[in-house]
Amino acid sequence: MARSTILIAENSCIIRKGLRSILQNLENSEVIQLIDDKEDVCKIVTKSKPDILIINPNMLPGDCLDVKKELFATNKLSLVLISDKKNIEKELKADAYINYSDGQNAILDKLQEILNKKNKSVHADKSSETISSREKNILKHIALGLTNKEIADQLFISIHTVVTHRKNITQKLGIKSVSGLTVYAILHNLISMDEVK
Amino acid sequence: MRIKKDMKLADVIQLNYMLIPVIHRFGINLGFGDKTVAEVCKDNEVDLNFFLQLVNAYHDKDYFPKEELQTIPVKNIVNYLKMTHASYLNDKLSEIDDKIISLQSEDMEDQRYILLIKNFFDGYKSELTEHILHEENVVFPYVLAVEEIIKTQSFTASNRAIFESFSIEKYEEEHNDVEEKLMDLKTIMIKYLTPPANSTLYHTIIQDLFKLEEDLNYHSRIEDKVLTPKVILMEKSISNLL
Repeated sequence: MARSTILIAENSCIIRKGLRSILQNLENSEVIQLIDDKEDVCKIVTKSKPDILIINPNMLPGDCLDVKKELFATNKLSLVLISDKKNIEKELKADAYINYSDGQNAILDKLQEILNKKNKSVHADKSSETISSREKNILKHIALGLTNKEIADQLFISIHTVVTHRKNITQKLGIKSVSGLTVYAILHNLISMDEVK
Repeated sequence: MRIKKDMKLADVIQLNYMLIPVIHRFGINLGFGDKTVAEVCKDNEVDLNFFLQLVNAYHDKDYFPKEELQTIPVKNIVNYLKMTHASYLNDKLSEIDDKIISLQSEDMEDQRYILLIKNFFDGYKSELTEHILHEENVVFPYVLAVEEIIKTQSFTASNRAIFESFSIEKYEEEHNDVEEKLMDLKTIMIKYLTPPANSTLYHTIIQDLFKLEEDLNYHSRIEDKVLTPKVILMEKSISNLL
């Protein structure tokens, strides 16, 4: 799993650095930069494309209610607002809100929740990681003990294509040997046990 | 960290517990108190230099004892490798085999799965066995013949025939993908199978496979980094003889 990157934009140095130190307890993530100047926010966000931006509302450029949409429409960015004001969620829309009075565990829980959601959506995106129906068909033939040449002939494709498919199947499943692929094929009902030579 | 002759053997083992079976193959038993590597080797009549080269090659995958290579008799290396082979064939493989068999009496969602693992492991076992037999029947006799030629600086009819029938280069080419199946078995058990309700045994098998793989890697490092380069050197000096 790739590490999630976090930017912190906050004008108080104590809070900036304190927050970074708290976030070190967060797994699979990394605070990549601290921003103390309002003017830099847009530029740095565009450049470093973080997964999460933690920002004090008074660092936000301009007055915008739907900050995320306005500023970061193109990025898949989660926005977290940090502030000492109560009821800020009524004014600004964000993925989470951290209050200055929050304890360490509360802060970590909020960010962990965001990370979990992110990883889930990454997972869903990776439908391409499971093997395609074409690849399943190739896999079935491999498991039946056919050579690349035989598979190519039967499916009317070039050997080169078969080899490419095999490479992709191996990469996606993490299984290299023919007997390993055969076991996978049986487990996933692509072939039955009796068909194996 | 390089293992040296005046280190306590107990500290060496603390450094890397994978060396326990290694020293055992040398006939060294645990319980050596505060004795140094040199002392323990002397007590057990083990060649100190060979012992050091071997444990260092085991311990550090970047270790490459170039100069020291010359001084180790091939016979010693071959004897050691044969001992590790025997421990794979007689102990390690059958231990895992037994565990897979007792897995069959566990309550599992689908008994077919265990049969699949069993068949797969059997396939791996025969592949590894074949590989080991090839080393014992072809590679080692060749290596010993090469050493004999060097020692006597002359050919006999029999060692000449062996010398011309093989070269260590061939061995290097063949010496690769036995571990592929082992890795696949681990992957399948981790990613694609649901373990039985009582999963302890299933977990132990996976851990055993990891350990076996680690040990095999260590083993092939001796072959690739100690034996093979030495034989290459000897082959060269023989070609000067011809």
